[in-house]
Amino acid sequence: MPELLTTLITTIAVGALYALLALGYTLVYGVLKFINFAHSDIFVLGCWTSFTASTILLAALGLASDAAPIWVVGVVLLLTVTVCAAVGYCVERFAYRPLRKAPRLNVLITAIGVSLLLQNVGQLPGFTVATTPDGKTPTATIPFGASPKSMPALIEDRVLNQTNVAQGALTPGERRGLVRLDQPVQLQDGRAYTLEVTRRVIPGAAERPRTDKLSIIRPNTTDQASTASVTIPAGADLQTIPRRSPQEVQGASYRLVQEPRVAIRLIDVLIVTFALILMAGLQVLIFRTSLGRAMRAISFNTDNAALMGINVNRVISFTFILGTALAAAAAFLYPLKYAGLNQPAHQVWVLLGLKAFVAAVVGGIGNVRGAVLGGFLIAGVEQFGMFYGDQLFLALGARQGLGTSLGDVYVFTVLILVLLLRPSGILGTTVREKV
Amino acid sequence: MSRLLLDARDIGITFGGLKAVQGLTLQLPPGVLHGLIGPNGAGKTTAFNLLTGVYQPQSGSITLDSTRIDALPPHQIAKAGLCRTFQNIRLFGELTVLDNVRTACHCRGSHSIFATVLRSGPFVRQELAMHRRSMELLEVFGLAHLAREQAKNLPYGDQRRLEICRALATQPKVLLLDEPAAGMNPSEKRSLANAIRHIKDRYNLAVLLIEHDMGLVMDICQHITVLDHGVTIAAGPPAHIQNDPKVCEAYLGQPVDAVTT
Amino acid sequence: MAATDTNPIAAPTDLAAHYAAITGTGSMALRILAPILACLAVGLAVTGLGAALGDYPDNVLKQVGVFIIAAVSLNIVNGFTGQFSMGHAGFMAVGGYVAAGVSYYASLLYFGTAQAQDGLLTMGHVFMSLGVVVGACAAAGMGYLVGLPSLRLRGDYLAIVTLGFGEIVRVILQQTSPQVNAADPAQLQALRDAPFSTLITLPFNGPLGFEAIPRYANNAWVWAVAAATCVVAYRVKTSSSGRAFLSIREDEIAARSMGINLTRYKVRAFVLAAFFAGVAGGLLAHIGVPLSPVDAGFQRSFEIIIMVVLGGLGSISGAVLAAVLLTVIPELLRDLQQYRLILYALLLILVMLLRPQGLFGVREIWDLWSAKRPTTPPVTPPNSPPNSPPAEPAP
Repeated sequence: MPELLTTLITTIAVGALYALLALGYTLVYGVLKFINFAHSDIFVLGCWTSFTASTILLAALGLASDAAPIWVVGVVLLLTVTVCAAVGYCVERFAYRPLRKAPRLNVLITAIGVSLLLQNVGQLPGFTVATTPDGKTPTATIPFGASPKSMPALIEDRVLNQTNVAQGALTPGERRGLVRLDQPVQLQDGRAYTLEVTRRVIPGAAERPRTDKLSIIRPNTTDQASTASVTIPAGADLQTIPRRSPQEVQGASYRLVQEPRVAIRLIDVLIVTFALILMAGLQVLIFRTSLGRAMRAISFNTDNAALMGINVNRVISFTFILGTALAAAAAFLYPLKYAGLNQPAHQVWVLLGLKAFVAAVVGGIGNVRGAVLGGFLIAGVEQFGMFYGDQLFLALGARQGLGTSLGDVYVFTVLILVLLLRPSGILGTTVREKV
Repeated sequence: MSRLLLDARDIGITFGGLKAVQGLTLQLPPGVLHGLIGPNGAGKTTAFNLLTGVYQPQSGSITLDSTRIDALPPHQIAKAGLCRTFQNIRLFGELTVLDNVRTACHCRGSHSIFATVLRSGPFVRQELAMHRRSMELLEVFGLAHLAREQAKNLPYGDQRRLEICRALATQPKVLLLDEPAAGMNPSEKRSLANAIRHIKDRYNLAVLLIEHDMGLVMDICQHITVLDHGVTIAAGPPAHIQNDPKVCEAYLGQPVDAVTT
Repeated sequence: MAATDTNPIAAPTDLAAHYAAITGTGSMALRILAPILACLAVGLAVTGLGAALGDYPDNVLKQVGVFIIAAVSLNIVNGFTGQFSMGHAGFMAVGGYVAAGVSYYASLLYFGTAQAQDGLLTMGHVFMSLGVVVGACAAAGMGYLVGLPSLRLRGDYLAIVTLGFGEIVRVILQQTSPQVNAADPAQLQALRDAPFSTLITLPFNGPLGFEAIPRYANNAWVWAVAAATCVVAYRVKTSSSGRAFLSIREDEIAARSMGINLTRYKVRAFVLAAFFAGVAGGLLAHIGVPLSPVDAGFQRSFEIIIMVVLGGLGSISGAVLAAVLLTVIPELLRDLQQYRLILYALLLILVMLLRPQGLFGVREIWDLWSAKRPTTPPVTPPNSPPNSPPAEPAP
């Protein structure tokens, strides 16, 4: 049951990201009736921009990678949105607009070309722009290159629903890896505990206080997943992972927290909140403003909309900017959750965009609510598929992890099924070709 | 009027709440030229789409030469012997004029991929037969000298003629023509009328014709059905239709005493 | 055939000549033998060229041949039929892995080593041929499965489903179990003792890539097959089936109304294209390039699409030319290797903006040449042949 709830929470967080991306696909499809293949590359561009911008800012301010003040976060978000929207505008203006009247296949091929261009320009080895002072993140380069990067923790992730058990001063144990608490604590069965160790500040040292998160291993066991309830007397040796030397622990303060069975993480809450605000805003924009009415009119019939005095080019440009801005928002949130930007762009990254596209199609492309629904649905299929798929494959005698690594397969299978059973998607409407 | 080639009884279809065609009955014996007229939006083209299987009729039955065809997919209807032209020309633009017609010969027999790749004897003989028949049809419509042109490069009138040619290449028993004379000048219309009469007699076809040019329709059709808002408001020989007050009302909006065509 | 030709066809003479060129003259035996001999001649000629140029160009030539097969076969589905498939690399990978699996493990079991045997036609060559055929059939089977949804999906949707197919193939190949190492006697013995239970785990080396496949495919093999692929594609294109493909691409509704069975021809196009993609993959596996699951993904599919689009959707000679250019030019400009895909992408966009039909459109190179000749004076409706109806008044 706890695993189920954890999977559900991941589903909601990942689903919100998919939904944001899917909205971009669906908005562009709504006004231009074609699938913007370059959308996933805009998303990747957004991730890299977010990384580069935060590294440059942190370097310029001389801050460590996890010590960003809140305004830096805002600036990074703003920059990411600006860069993505600008690139999105240019793509529409110079690649798609000349083909407005061309056959759909030509537009599709152009979109593939744009996608390929963005991907490969992004992977060119770049020149170094900045390195954060603590050297924890690799250097930022422009273009971004193909080497692994790690996103600075602009917003430090933490579990929101931990229970505080004890806190006090820590003393080192007999050897490396052992610590002693200053009070007796009871460790309940089946629960994990984390020891947050804050090292003392050495006067005059440049280093600021750092907090280490250590797992606890109960006495007479070898791993942390112990089921036995046990009481640790004050001053007894307690084993931790990773191990810390006595010098590191000497004079540190500690906080012992009980991990919840179902962890609710700050980043997940932020992602979902932010995404929901954007979606609500989009809903208002599309159904309550004159600009939204113009977008809907163009979606219904471009030529008639133009006859009614709507500046079609401007509205289409705006829609592109809107769609790419949503992708940029997703691109800002994604590396905060998954810091490792260590995949060559053409694999996991673009695939993420493709899955968002699948979400848009499954929900009914061109339909804003469908995109949101599809986003959560696809995330659910992926996450629950990985969870149950692994159990299923294990039961069938396959090796561990096989079911988990097939996440993409589940998603595309669902796509094919939905398209075969209901080609216009769940909330989409069927369009008859006029004969 | 003994044998009916096309017998559509009481067919109808509804889109959402719109009754596009309702209770339409069309009965075509061999050799008849049957006109289907009505104001814009009356449901004429929808009727064609129902007959050719583009839409499935929601009620009624369609029989072609004593075979039920209303549940068949379009390509099988074509094979059964009912073929059409399109109001908004739908030629295979990139293909040559000849290939447009030869493509339509396809439903009268084709070969497996192996025979195609090996160029087997039957395959070559059939290809030549298709070629011959296509050229013959192009000849009838005066398009033979354009055989190697791309269809999209043809002038409008030639494209309309090519559409008829292509439909004939499927060797239909019943031919549906959707505004074949649209956009033609009077002399082109005259020769088109001749060509239609000629092919009808030569292949013993029944022809169903949608046309807005009343002169042409009254001139060549033996029987006319008038649609308005999806409903048949009159049916009969041209002389009868010309004097029907409901037809005048449908076209002109109010009853008038006399109509000239 | 001679007899039918003399029949008074109401055709201008150049049409009759054109038609004779399409069907080929002479007996059926000649119609079958001539292209086979021509393919062998192409294979031998390129082998000679490769030998004359040296080792490195020889290898490049092999790759060119493989990509010609890939591009021409993709052209059948994307170009002729207008169904935009983006999973061609997936079919290639299926064909390649199956072919490599057959010939690698057959060699291990038969010779005890995966080294290529010396000689022009050894048992190893038989294993390769068998593998390529089995792989191509497996790919064709996949083509059937992927072709079925194409009945209900158009354009972008189909593109994304085929793209998803390639990705599924990639993910599954990454999960295959480690390859049996030919150098390890214990592993070899285990394979010999229980070949079936080893092979059922698909020992294709997962994400590391399937290596050490015997290099039997020299230029003679690759180019003879490439020439054969072109002959097949050309004969299909200039036949009743080919016109059915093209009509679907031009206008599905009209094609359907003219009696073309969309289901049959779309699936047929997919199966045919997938079959030859499988052949291309199988040969690629045997020219010394290790197989990698990544090659099933969309990057490689894009590369083949670019060849087809550049050459002209529907043009066989265009696809061949584009495959040659886009394989050879990057080799000549090795320093610019990292810019290769960027140039490809720009090329793709520019072609779409400036010349959307590609180099040759649906036509072939020689069509362009013949189109430049002064056309025969328009034949005014010729005198009616004896068995045709009385002439119509010319409109």
